[in-house]
Amino acid sequence: MKCSRCKATACVSLPSHHSGFCPDCFKLFFTRQVETAVRREKMFTRDERILVALSGGKDSLALMLELSSQGYDVTGLHIDLGIPDSSEKARAKVEAFCASRGLRLEVFEMAKWGLPIPDVKRFSTRPVCAVCGKLKRHHFNRIALAGGYDALATGHNLDDEVARLFANTLRWDVGYLSDQGPALPAREGFVRKVKPLFRLSEFETANYAFLQGIEIHSDPCPYASGASFTGHKELWGELEHRSPGQKFQFYQGFLQRGRRAFAALDKAEGDVLAPCTACGSPTNAGVCSICRIRESIREKKLEAGEA
Amino acid sequence: MITVNLEPDGKVLELHDIRSVVGLLNKLGMRHTMAIIARGGELLTPDRKLSHGDVVLVRKVTSAG
Repeated sequence: MKCSRCKATACVSLPSHHSGFCPDCFKLFFTRQVETAVRREKMFTRDERILVALSGGKDSLALMLELSSQGYDVTGLHIDLGIPDSSEKARAKVEAFCASRGLRLEVFEMAKWGLPIPDVKRFSTRPVCAVCGKLKRHHFNRIALAGGYDALATGHNLDDEVARLFANTLRWDVGYLSDQGPALPAREGFVRKVKPLFRLSEFETANYAFLQGIEIHSDPCPYASGASFTGHKELWGELEHRSPGQKFQFYQGFLQRGRRAFAALDKAEGDVLAPCTACGSPTNAGVCSICRIRESIREKKLEAGEA
Repeated sequence: MITVNLEPDGKVLELHDIRSVVGLLNKLGMRHTMAIIARGGELLTPDRKLSHGDVVLVRKVTSAG
């Protein structure tokens, strides 16, 4: 296969774009997809400070490198979840990546905050992945606001967004469908959230990470077996194989024609947010779910004589 | 015979009668956008030929949580 742009030997074949690219032209394709995403969704400018959530996986590290290469003012944020035999490896990859490329990094430790994820797994009755995700989102937002950042960028790619949209649609979850998208403006208590990789598939970010020589943390989380999003991605992978480009059409169609209807419905019927009486984070209850989870686990640890 | 290093599984497979990347993907039951394939640090498209003695990296792209 020849590169669609320069006719050298291609290294990446992209059926959804009817194209193949050599290493240099693929990197250019990747850069242009990110540029288009940032420009069309008005995500941020080069005068703004961006906090990039770094898990150590291919997507977040690829995002950090690409935004840095494009001249944006980026700082990485890694949350050390405190999971034995896993979190230290992820953290080491992130720290080595940032150090080798001269990129700023902040690390937040869940254990120092008093709630490592193994405690969530042991003492919470809720699914550990759901609670872990909630805690990470809370801290990303809190740290971005406290640090005066203009935007929080995450490495969610097209496959992540399609799998999430699919899951939300299966449940007709009006709240989540009302604000799913690649750019969520700032509002009281929430920093602006952006997903500059939303036009790129997981396959494309994996190729980019490989070509850029990024050492990634690819071990699956030991607590994440059977996550439903993985199954949804497999279903969509099959659909995409039969009809290349369908993932992007599904997602773009929702953004252009579906989301407004859910946003209007949520505005009419949705919850009103107010600051949590304990921590000040926005919530539709008096005390936010983060504080309730933390208190519940603290009580259970006390009962177990482990506090 | 080719040697396949599967990531992130950490498995090593030895496969016979595989003559192309698409043949390898079919053997592994994968669609071509489910994994990146590389040989000697070079990414390969599905139409590329494989030879006896090749050592190939197959890195699945779906993050598992």
